[in-house]
Amino acid sequence: MAVKQGKAGVCSDYRVKLSCAFMGLGQLFCRQFIKGALLMLFEIGFILFLIFQGVENIIGLFTLGTTEGVPIMGIEGDNSVSMLAWGITTLFFIAFFALAYHANIKDVIFTVREIQKGNRVRTFRESLSTLLNQKFYVLTLTVPLVFVCVFNVMPIVFTALVAFTDYGGEIVPPRLVSWTGLQSFKVIFTMSEYIGTMGKILAWNILWGFGSTFLVYFGGLGLALLYNARCLKWKRFWRVFPMLAYAIPSFITLTGFCFMFCDSGPIVGQLKALEWVGETFTIISYDSKWSLRLLGFFCCAWIGIPSVMFLATGILSNASKDMYEAARLDGANGFQQFWYLTLPFVLFATTPVIISTFINQFNNFSIFYFLRPETVYAPGYFNANSSDLLINWMYNLTVENGLYSLGSALSLILFAFMAVFSLVAYVTSPAYKKEDTYR
Amino acid sequence: MKAKFRPARAFKTALVYLLVLLVSFIFAFPCIWLVLSAFNAEGDLLTLDGFFPETYSLETFRRLFTETNKYDYPRWFGNTLFVAAVSCVISTFLVIAVAYTISRYRFKSRKSLMKATLILGIFPNFMNMTALYVIMTQLHLINNLWGLILLYSSGSAMGFLVQKGFFDTIPSTIYDAATLDGASDFRVFISITLPLSKPMIVYTALTAFVWPWADFMLPSMLLVDKSSWTVAVGLNSLDDSEFSIFAAGSMFVAVPIIVLYVALSKYLIEGGAAGAVKE
Repeated sequence: MAVKQGKAGVCSDYRVKLSCAFMGLGQLFCRQFIKGALLMLFEIGFILFLIFQGVENIIGLFTLGTTEGVPIMGIEGDNSVSMLAWGITTLFFIAFFALAYHANIKDVIFTVREIQKGNRVRTFRESLSTLLNQKFYVLTLTVPLVFVCVFNVMPIVFTALVAFTDYGGEIVPPRLVSWTGLQSFKVIFTMSEYIGTMGKILAWNILWGFGSTFLVYFGGLGLALLYNARCLKWKRFWRVFPMLAYAIPSFITLTGFCFMFCDSGPIVGQLKALEWVGETFTIISYDSKWSLRLLGFFCCAWIGIPSVMFLATGILSNASKDMYEAARLDGANGFQQFWYLTLPFVLFATTPVIISTFINQFNNFSIFYFLRPETVYAPGYFNANSSDLLINWMYNLTVENGLYSLGSALSLILFAFMAVFSLVAYVTSPAYKKEDTYR
Repeated sequence: MKAKFRPARAFKTALVYLLVLLVSFIFAFPCIWLVLSAFNAEGDLLTLDGFFPETYSLETFRRLFTETNKYDYPRWFGNTLFVAAVSCVISTFLVIAVAYTISRYRFKSRKSLMKATLILGIFPNFMNMTALYVIMTQLHLINNLWGLILLYSSGSAMGFLVQKGFFDTIPSTIYDAATLDGASDFRVFISITLPLSKPMIVYTALTAFVWPWADFMLPSMLLVDKSSWTVAVGLNSLDDSEFSIFAAGSMFVAVPIIVLYVALSKYLIEGGAAGAVKE
């Protein structure tokens, strides 16, 4: 009956009201002394933080500093960038506190209900043991969640906010940064050097994304089928070779290939010695376009194919043998077996792999970063090269040239595009919908 | 019954071997080239005769370990090993815990957590870099190897989907039985789940080790002093006149992972597939 009293009955209890007013008060009146005291200490700590630091941080987030520093005269002004960072951190603290407050109210409602039902109130020890059992997930998820919030979510929020300021170029601390709204986006979409460069890079980036995903995925699948062939002996031995490519760190592979294909390297040297190409032939130089792009595809295949191959090998070993036996009896040839049995099965099993391969390739920073060591920009491009992907361009804008707000705005545009694409692809994939099928 | 010689099958076998040989050559050649270049008597890339050195010697290796004022390779190597080993332990622990939790428990924000992870994963890594640099400066973790360890551990915690896919395959009846016998959830995890998921843990630990071991972006941004560099940053600072130093230095980075991968290839293939199929 007590449960059916409904929310109103519980909520009007004085202990619930007390906990709404101050964390832990209600728990104290429920005779949960340790828990109540801990919660009250928590709120007091938070209030102290707000008074001594928090309010200032929040104001700083809005003003981004008021006194400009002049280092020569020894005047220490406000550092807008760190103010932005601390402002965001404070917002995170407040959000976390709100969650804790909510949990505190829910907890006291639960306890009051138990009391009204006539049950004994939980001791502190019992509360802890609940944490080990029904609420085990709270225990395991808290630390990673905090980590991810600090080192993944916060930087993203920071970057997103920087897109709406004028941070970058001349305006870096000690000069004051200020909010400028959509100014950066306007610059990107209206200034011809930006929009022109973006069009060219985006077209190449899309071609690269689909091309390299296709290459890596089907290359890996083909290789897995090849190494699975029944007539092949010593399979374990042959698999060591792609394993080599898989294991070598990509910065070594790419720098190695760069040395191999550069002007003083053996490939160009040999081709010249054989007089197959002219004296001016280069593969990697500041204005080479398609030669470097093709080299990119080659390196990407060399690095990426083995990992897909091993994945596909594992999946193929799960495929049912009966299926193939039946197909053979019905007279299907090797190609038909591949097309109607192997491919659909592997495609189903690896949808998430295709998505993640596409995302990784679309944002493959390292390929062209390592293959083109000099930072001379190509004609017709603004701070970029003909082989650069969007992510390389963003790197050039921000890290190399310090145009932070423009780079951030660009990354927001790219991010919106990628997020919608992969979320739709992921949510509509059968693997996500039928998550529990194998239980 | 002895198999009859069939031309079609023989042709197919020959084709398969030809292809396998070709593929093996493509994968092996750059590695052989790099290894032999490390034994080049001269350091410069231009001194190669065609693809391979004219005279072989161990001079490069002596320089690699003794000329520490120019390239402090032993130090870089130690730094890399430290970062990779510590982050491997922390990340493995975190990833397994998160994946198990998400797979085993049904709680309110579960699906939205998974979607959020996916979205966070899309955000280009280095775009956070300016922000990360600011945050790390505020936390006084620039030039500090522990800063890198923190970043790797938190980054890998988001890659739990493969492991979650694996845990999904453990039948829930096992858990129910254990719970009926009065085991706490923590007990169940330690004494039932962990032993069952040995291949997955090996897979997780291996991938968690290799990322920091081979990463270039984060250390190149956060480690400014030459003495705190990792091997990746150090080797990348060499130009083509020091090519054999690069080749020799790379060997010590690549060989341990290759040995690990080849030795654990069984786990690697099983682990990756187990997660992917039911992800």
